[in-house]
Amino acid sequence: MLKTINNKLINMSDRTMAWLFTLPTIILLLFINIYPLIWTVYLSFTNYKANRRGVEIAWVGLKWYEKILTNEDVWLNLQATAHFLFWTIFFQALLGLTLALLLDKKFKGHEILTTIVVLPMMLSPAVVGVFWKYIYQPQAGLFNHIVNAIYNFGEFTMIGDVSLAPWSIIIVDTWMWTPFVMLMCLAGLRSIPDYLYEAAEIDRASKWQQFLHITLPSVLPFLMLAVLLRGIENFKMFDLVNELTGGGPGSITELASIHLKRAAFEKWRTGYSSAFAVILFVTVLGAGNIYVKLLNKLKEK
Amino acid sequence: MSASRDTTRSPLEPSATSRRIAAFLIILYASIAFIPMVLIVSTAFKSVTDAISYPPKIISEPSLEGFVNLFTQRTRQSAEYLETLPPPETWYEEIVRKRQMVIAGPSRFIQRFVNSIIIGFGATFFSVFFGTIAAYAFSRFRIPLKDDLLFFVLSTRMFPPIAAAVPIFLMYRKLGLSDSHLGMIMLYTVVNLSLSVWLLKGFIDEIPREYEDAAMVDGYSRMSAFFKIILPQAATGIAATAIFCLIFAWNEYAFAILLTFREAQTLPPFIPTIIGEGGLDWPAISAATMIFLLPVVVFTIILRKHLLRGITFGAVKR
Repeated sequence: MLKTINNKLINMSDRTMAWLFTLPTIILLLFINIYPLIWTVYLSFTNYKANRRGVEIAWVGLKWYEKILTNEDVWLNLQATAHFLFWTIFFQALLGLTLALLLDKKFKGHEILTTIVVLPMMLSPAVVGVFWKYIYQPQAGLFNHIVNAIYNFGEFTMIGDVSLAPWSIIIVDTWMWTPFVMLMCLAGLRSIPDYLYEAAEIDRASKWQQFLHITLPSVLPFLMLAVLLRGIENFKMFDLVNELTGGGPGSITELASIHLKRAAFEKWRTGYSSAFAVILFVTVLGAGNIYVKLLNKLKEK
Repeated sequence: MSASRDTTRSPLEPSATSRRIAAFLIILYASIAFIPMVLIVSTAFKSVTDAISYPPKIISEPSLEGFVNLFTQRTRQSAEYLETLPPPETWYEEIVRKRQMVIAGPSRFIQRFVNSIIIGFGATFFSVFFGTIAAYAFSRFRIPLKDDLLFFVLSTRMFPPIAAAVPIFLMYRKLGLSDSHLGMIMLYTVVNLSLSVWLLKGFIDEIPREYEDAAMVDGYSRMSAFFKIILPQAATGIAATAIFCLIFAWNEYAFAILLTFREAQTLPPFIPTIIGEGGLDWPAISAATMIFLLPVVVFTIILRKHLLRGITFGAVKR
């Protein structure tokens, strides 16, 4: 009996095996990914509140969508998200590309240095966020002292100040994720075949021309992929900011995900938060698709 | 001699000067970026008073107060009461006693640490197991709508975790899976599946089909060829994938803070809640952070050759 089952398992057809092997993944994804997604879409049309059980769920149509899209606070949140997204990507792309170009000089010890530089991105963003709260402390923290040693600004608080708080999260995110962009650019640099430079040398192209016409175009697709992945991640940024500033002061650093969490788990406005989640998801998916199309066009060139 | 060496240098090799400048700038960046790491370790070995002193103390007398605070719960007592107690028996009691307190019991740190290990390893095992077989099927078989399925697997990562947390919270409440190890293991397994399928598919794609074909000509069935040929060949890739999944589950915070409270709470939501007298207990938090980050640092060093591959879902191979 056992032997026949065993034989059947060993000698199953390719078709059966293909199904058997992919089915668990598909079922799990349906159960914990697709079902919640559909459920979210459904809830976004209702007045359901997760902390009020046993109340009949009523259909409210597009009420929440209307409310969100005409709500000025939500636009402020999206502005905060856009500000965060723009500057983190700007700094990370700039620093990451520079570091990659420098590391590509292959000086002695560049491998150990790469590992050291890369470390921050492997850490838990939430735990990093808490610790940076300590670094940013105006009195005991090191940040203010280092900054004041370079140029004396006097007293300031990174997290507590309305105009500085948005930059406090940008600095930490840049510290964490610049290495990622750097690694991507490095992969791009390493993919350039030597003969391109050799041919350029023979043609007596200057170093600057070589950089402009060989290095930059080869790195660009890698840099743009890095920007896409960082963009998606930072659009849904939650953990780091939730621990570092908690969205404050006021709601200055209340990024989209933080707003979502406050609405869903503090105010228990489940319908509203579901509608907001759907809007965010559609935005990421749409923007991501447009970006990928642009990227592919660039690659064709 | 040196001049002639300079002229024979290949034009592709960067000059010695430019190398030196590059090395200097990278070392400069690395040392600035490394300050927070050093600070975590140094704060872990500071006393509570030194950690919040103004101006900040760079070097202070090493103290294990942070670690003692991390592992114990303490209560403040009056001087009269403390005098009635017998002298402290252990070094950690002595540290606590110096601050007018007695140890009331162990803290929850160890329990949270064990949770992190159970959930992290459990989720890693399942996501790598299901990921490997699915990746093999995606790599070798004709599956209807394969590209759509693969994209679907990936797109699940674009949904903000907070948004997914609401329906999962409702679903788990109904199924009685709230705040349970099983629930968190299932959740992290699924979140990691997209990474694991994509990464492993890349690794398995690189194993030539001829290996299995040859084995099957020799009389192996496909199943035994999978076990005896593919799995050993993909071992490095599977190990790298496992470490990535483990790091993700280990670091995950958004689901953990929303779906766990007591029983199944992991370290990332727990560490920020370590408070002492008058606010966050920085030495204890640093000590916890140090213990928490150590495995990730070790894994990063092991993984350094595969890092990019893991983080780009296998889009960049190197």
